[in-house]
Amino acid sequence: MAVVKVPLPPIDSNVFSAGWGYITTIAAGMWKTLAIFTVQLLKIEKTNTLEWPEQAATYSDRFKGKHFLTLRDDGEVRCTACFLCATNCPADCIHIEAGNHPDNELEKFPVRFEIDILRCVFCGYCEEACPVDAIRLGPEYAMVGTNGGKWVYTKEYLAERKQLSGGVISVKDENEKHPIVEAPKGSRNAKQIKSYARHGIH
Amino acid sequence: MGDTLTKVKITTAFEGKPNARALKTYVDNGGYAGLKKAFTMQPGQVIDEVKAAGLRGRGGAGFPTGMKWSFVPKDDKGPKYIICNNDESEPGTFKDRYITECNPHMILEGMIIAGFAIGANKGYIYTRYDFFEEIKWLETAIREAYDAGFLGDNILGTGFKFHIDHYAGAGAYICGEETGLLSSLEGKKGQPKLKPPFPAISGYLHRPTIVNNTETLAAVPWIINHGAAAHKTMGTEKSPGTKLFCLSGRVKRPGVYELPLGYPIEKLINEDAGGMLPGYNIKACIPGGSSAPILTAEELKGLTLDYEAIAAKGSMLGSGAIMIIDDSMSMVELLKVTVDFYHHESCGQCTPCREGTGWLANIMTGIMAGQGKKDDLQRMFEISRNMEGKTICALSDAAAMPTKSIVTKFGAEIADFIERGKRA
Amino acid sequence: MSETVTFKLNGKDVTVPKGTTVMEAARRENVEIPHFCWHPGLSVAGVCRFCMVKVEGRPKLEIACNLQATNGMDVKTDTEEAKSAHKWALEFHLINHPLDCPICDQAGECGLQDYYMSVGKYQSQMTRPKVLKPKMLDVGRDLVLDTERCILCSRCVRFEEEVTKTGALGIFDRGDRAIIGTYPGEKIDHNYQTNLVDICPVGAFTSRDFRFKQRVWFLKDKPAVCPGCSTGCSVDVYGKPETRSYFRLKPRKGEANGHWMCDKGRHMYSHLNQDVRLRTALTTDAQGRRKDTNFAGAIEDLGKRIAAVNPATDVALLVSAQHTSEEYKSLFDFFVGELGIKKVFQWREPTEKIDAFDGLLYRGDHNANTSGLLSALKEAGLAAGLKNEFDAVASSGAKIVIAVTPEVPSTFPSFEQQLNRLTELDFVSFWTLAGSVADNKKTKHAIPMKGFPEKKGTFINHEGKAGKLDSPFPCPVADGRDLTEIIAALKQWRHSHGSR
Repeated sequence: MAVVKVPLPPIDSNVFSAGWGYITTIAAGMWKTLAIFTVQLLKIEKTNTLEWPEQAATYSDRFKGKHFLTLRDDGEVRCTACFLCATNCPADCIHIEAGNHPDNELEKFPVRFEIDILRCVFCGYCEEACPVDAIRLGPEYAMVGTNGGKWVYTKEYLAERKQLSGGVISVKDENEKHPIVEAPKGSRNAKQIKSYARHGIH
Repeated sequence: MGDTLTKVKITTAFEGKPNARALKTYVDNGGYAGLKKAFTMQPGQVIDEVKAAGLRGRGGAGFPTGMKWSFVPKDDKGPKYIICNNDESEPGTFKDRYITECNPHMILEGMIIAGFAIGANKGYIYTRYDFFEEIKWLETAIREAYDAGFLGDNILGTGFKFHIDHYAGAGAYICGEETGLLSSLEGKKGQPKLKPPFPAISGYLHRPTIVNNTETLAAVPWIINHGAAAHKTMGTEKSPGTKLFCLSGRVKRPGVYELPLGYPIEKLINEDAGGMLPGYNIKACIPGGSSAPILTAEELKGLTLDYEAIAAKGSMLGSGAIMIIDDSMSMVELLKVTVDFYHHESCGQCTPCREGTGWLANIMTGIMAGQGKKDDLQRMFEISRNMEGKTICALSDAAAMPTKSIVTKFGAEIADFIERGKRA
Repeated sequence: MSETVTFKLNGKDVTVPKGTTVMEAARRENVEIPHFCWHPGLSVAGVCRFCMVKVEGRPKLEIACNLQATNGMDVKTDTEEAKSAHKWALEFHLINHPLDCPICDQAGECGLQDYYMSVGKYQSQMTRPKVLKPKMLDVGRDLVLDTERCILCSRCVRFEEEVTKTGALGIFDRGDRAIIGTYPGEKIDHNYQTNLVDICPVGAFTSRDFRFKQRVWFLKDKPAVCPGCSTGCSVDVYGKPETRSYFRLKPRKGEANGHWMCDKGRHMYSHLNQDVRLRTALTTDAQGRRKDTNFAGAIEDLGKRIAAVNPATDVALLVSAQHTSEEYKSLFDFFVGELGIKKVFQWREPTEKIDAFDGLLYRGDHNANTSGLLSALKEAGLAAGLKNEFDAVASSGAKIVIAVTPEVPSTFPSFEQQLNRLTELDFVSFWTLAGSVADNKKTKHAIPMKGFPEKKGTFINHEGKAGKLDSPFPCPVADGRDLTEIIAALKQWRHSHGSR
């Protein structure tokens, strides 16, 4: 292996790399800081920093923040405890317990609907999976609490969101549901349904 | 083709005679002669005679009767059964009740001969319950036949046993289907059974059974009496003999006409029936009961009334119920009434018929209510096409075929109705 | 030798006994022909019209379930015509089917869902309002009937007629108004109700016991043998290993039970869930204070006590007939063979009617392995008669009683009573699943055990046939052991503490 002689690099001659370079660099930096400070203080230049919390950030309609459960016209949660959100969730953070609803029309409802918000990654897969538009990720992004605080959001908390503008009533038409005793007027087998209910099919 | 002017009456021979239904009238005019002749033959010879005569089932399917009888196992020790299918429910058909009105004894004689041919000692007549008068007439005739020794344990001293019982249905079109009839006769819901096994092998109570239409059985005595050759002089080569045609619609003289097969339909409508009532023209014709595909007035030109000619035009002779649709009638209404009928009568056993008839009726309900869509016609055609050939019995086909033909041939009128309905 | 026929199924030659239908042959060859109304344990109905296949030489498609194979027949299940027939069969089945998937328990094991994904995947053309029918009807102890979801396959009607011979179900009305139901004022009232839930391909019949408890795609099933009686039906146990909980049992096709199981066996999962089980081992210290301990601690305590007495006269063994033959062998090899115990007693239910039989599956001997226990006793040189020797335990004069309790308390109506009586004795070590042992303050020593789907072993049924347990779930109780493991631990303790 031969030794290769590499020539020394040429000496730059600008004011920052000469012998006095450190003084000039410091002066340039301090000048930069002072200039920006003055410009922003005198409001000559706009900054992108929001003065939170006096100024709130705005996000698009598609922002995925804190979840909420939508309600039907009668005030019940729309959720039918189908478990699709829990199945689809990649973080396995939704826990549901289904129960029998006393109303024949609704049949199934969530007795418990809990989201462990610390596990949640806010991917929105639950919103995508829901067949009845029961769960949505809303615009709220400020979630604070202490160590040992309530980090598992229950059904009641998720459904009670009067502060959201536009309300949480879903636009889906609930009148599509069918009754068990009274068939809609003009339905083709209204008489049969009435008679079954009267005599009981069993 | 036989002589179209032949006025031989086989099944309506007693039409117009005073006291036609009485046994005395029947016997005095040659009744039960066929039975006596049959007793001089071997059972196998009787079947061969009926085969040679080319008699085809008159209920709608047109299956060769002699061949059907020959399917019964000859060495089966019995019991075997003859069933007369008098559950006349095909819309537009009213010939079997007419035979009962004219000469119920001819039916009985036919049944006894058939029983002798296949080795059956028991016959049932299954009549729809709302033929109140016909049931009375039949039961009177049966009583008379027993009293005269034509039914019983020793018919005419030959030692042959044959008993007939009458059984009334409860108002279901599906009980006119042979296995539906058998289920009903067995006391169950009138739902058709899977075939195979066929009734000739395993029918009523799993015994060999022959189910024949009333008109078919009523034609048998004449054939045995006068011979197969005489029968073949009438009608066409493939459709020999005479048939009862039920002409309905706005013609001057609607009613039952017994004519040799192969008779020109235009002659029947314009001459025998006197043509259309003043102010009405033929728009369409359903030649064989509502299950037959519809024919336009154009397609009636030169058409003869036999199985082959009508099949060649894409329809079927069926039960011979010729329904004349005139230009005052709406094809939309006709289609609605048709699909509603099959929807009501479907037994509900197999899925394509149960759901398909319901779907067709549902779509027509929508169309009548002004909610029709442009592609409804295409949809109905496809539904019908996929209902055909997939079911236990032919009710599904019977619903599908007229729907397809009406939607195809009169699609423009229906599409126009759908359009107007939306604007209304 | 019986006659056979050879025919072509999708191009492959298949030989079957004469009289076999194409559907049965296809099943044997693992060729999937989609179907709803056919069931191997019921008669042929041929009403769903889904299993259409093409037979060369015949103009129309035929249904495979009623088509007897003949020599030279050429059957194809995958032609374009057959595939289109399958799609339209699904279309017809679904046009009036309610959109109940979110609230229907059958989701995940539903015939309509599964077949739509495998042979359907068409765009539905139904745009009209659907036919409505009564829903959520109570027709039996464990049955909820939804007539709208019903596809009228008539499997339930045929089951009632042919298997239980009770004929309690019928199809009322006709056409698309037809509904399944019981006769007015009547309900289904026999011991085989939940089989209707199993055979129903959709969510028309659902189990009230299982209703809404869990979505089936979260469950894992493992084969086992039902421990409820001496018939030993083959079953599948459904559990969720992640939460160590069990949800239901379903029958598996087996020699002892055909395609069915009884309702009593359906409850054989509830005793396995953690809330009713003994969760830790128990010992009592010298001052008589009871404390929770681990398995090793319990073995240590028991080993010491046994070492302090003469096993031949002071130790008694009370054993029930609900454990596996392998467990009995290790139990007797150690206690009788090694320790020389003479006092071995059988724990049987005093009110049992051992010869009872309901005519179908359920027998009066509510123990899974009576035959196994008796032959193990005989092999160990002990008396092997069928008697309840519970009372003899108290008068045996033993200082230490090892009580191997029945696994399933519900099969022993006097279980609690007998537990209480045992706790009155000097010292009893309960080897058990039952949490009620811990609830009883007088219990001095207990070791939690594994349940039947958590161990490997064999049950011998009333006919002498062996049923295998070989697919264990993880035990919900960390210290749960089966008898072979307990014995191995005791042996090890004894040998390491210098005993013969």
